[in-house]
Amino acid sequence: METISRTNTEALPKYGESIIEISSLCKSFGDNYVLNQFNLTVRRGENVVVLGKSGCGKSVLIKCVVGLLKYEEGSLQVFGKEINSLKQKELDEMRARIGFVFQSSALYDSMTVRQNLEFALRRHGKGKTKQEVDQLVEEMLDNVSLANAINLMPSELSGGMRKRIGLARSLILKPELMLYDEPTTGLDPITAEEISNMMLAMQHKYNTSSIIISHDMHCARLTANRLAVMIDGINYAEGTFEELSKMNDPKVNAFFKKQ
Amino acid sequence: MENNPAETTPAKKQSEPIWVSVLPEEFRDFLNEVGEIVRFVMRFFREVFMPPYELKEIFHQSYEIGYRSLPLVALTAFIIGLVLTLQSRPTLARFGAESWLPAMVGISIIREIGPVIVALVCAGKIGSSIGAELGSMKVTEQIDAMEVSGTNPFKYIVVSRIISTTFMIPILVIMGDAVALIGSFIAVKLTSAISITLFFNQVFESTDFSDFIPAFVKTFFFGFAIGLVGCYKGYNSKKGTEGVGESANSSVVIASLLVFIIDLIAVQITQFFGYL
Repeated sequence: METISRTNTEALPKYGESIIEISSLCKSFGDNYVLNQFNLTVRRGENVVVLGKSGCGKSVLIKCVVGLLKYEEGSLQVFGKEINSLKQKELDEMRARIGFVFQSSALYDSMTVRQNLEFALRRHGKGKTKQEVDQLVEEMLDNVSLANAINLMPSELSGGMRKRIGLARSLILKPELMLYDEPTTGLDPITAEEISNMMLAMQHKYNTSSIIISHDMHCARLTANRLAVMIDGINYAEGTFEELSKMNDPKVNAFFKKQ
Repeated sequence: MENNPAETTPAKKQSEPIWVSVLPEEFRDFLNEVGEIVRFVMRFFREVFMPPYELKEIFHQSYEIGYRSLPLVALTAFIIGLVLTLQSRPTLARFGAESWLPAMVGISIIREIGPVIVALVCAGKIGSSIGAELGSMKVTEQIDAMEVSGTNPFKYIVVSRIISTTFMIPILVIMGDAVALIGSFIAVKLTSAISITLFFNQVFESTDFSDFIPAFVKTFFFGFAIGLVGCYKGYNSKKGTEGVGESANSSVVIASLLVFIIDLIAVQITQFFGYL
């Protein structure tokens, strides 16, 4: 597995135009506003880590980005298109450009690893020959060093393996944007670091941009080009890891004090 | 670097009409549930005719729902046919009408007992299995993952299962009826010297299409109800493992209840049209 360090500046992609523009985004469940005038911009080739306490609405944010949840107010543009106003067909086409790694991996229990990876190609991989599909599946499994797990069922995989297969599955369409929902939660520190390094390697290999939802500071330090701290449904503070760690604000410092 | 946290006025929520707010909460919940079910059914009928058609998944589910339920259905039907015959025999013997046994049992099985018993067995086996499977998929975000991958999860999961139950339950009922009649023949054979040809001749002489067709038609509705309830409960499962258990449990209870309600309606309709 190739490891890319943030200190290796040559490995860093150059940031391009904005691919996600979030402005004054509001989303509530009943009377509870989890997103309350939230703002964020993600540029091409950039990894943005969103930090926040459990249950503060981080996952809700990326579910709004991919159109799984509808927001009530504000604007959320992905690749220049307002997500809430997209028709189902347009949304499906946009989703082909977005990879989503779920917190629980969300592998389809009744399918093998191969079938899990091939599933997205049913809709978006039309015209590909069996050989091309096989090659693609093998490439993705090689990326996560799990080529030998191709015929296993999800129930036969460990937590770390499931995360890696989830990552491989989300990359099968070679998306431009990756959304990671707590990718290292529930893993031991060594596996968590492996996953973080894989995320960086994939960013480098496929030139993806990412929003990474996490409260794992080690993962954030490794993967983030920029961090956004979500508190009370707003983007409370934003900057590089170093900038935020030196910031004189008790709410922000609370995330960094154990580092 | 830092955003301004001061301007955080929540967006205004749409308030509900006054007449809704005066209704008791339980009644509002009930109305909401009814509304959700109606939307779910309408969505099914909208999506069932729209391409792409998930034929592979429909065949896969038909195998899972139909073929895999066959041993349980066959065993239950065999025992029902056997026991019904053994229990009916003394009563008929008291009136000297033992020769009517194949006809009576045949009519009972074909018209009523076969369809209802098989449907109840399927409500237990298939309804709970669909409710638990979909509930589990919901709480582990597999349905979201499917949607993100560009597949319509409603069509792939719900439509395929409801179509499969709608068409597999009638086939299972026919097979169940046949096995129940074999069970009945064995029970008759235990006490009298009757050939299988004579037994089935007596059964089919006493029944005609007016017995078979209404009983067969209602099994499509049984199948639809079982699939619909299982899918609705599973697809709308609440978060957590408790929600999965609840989905499975309520799928069985509601589907079983619906089988009786549909049966009652079917009997009224067939009586109205003079079939009985």
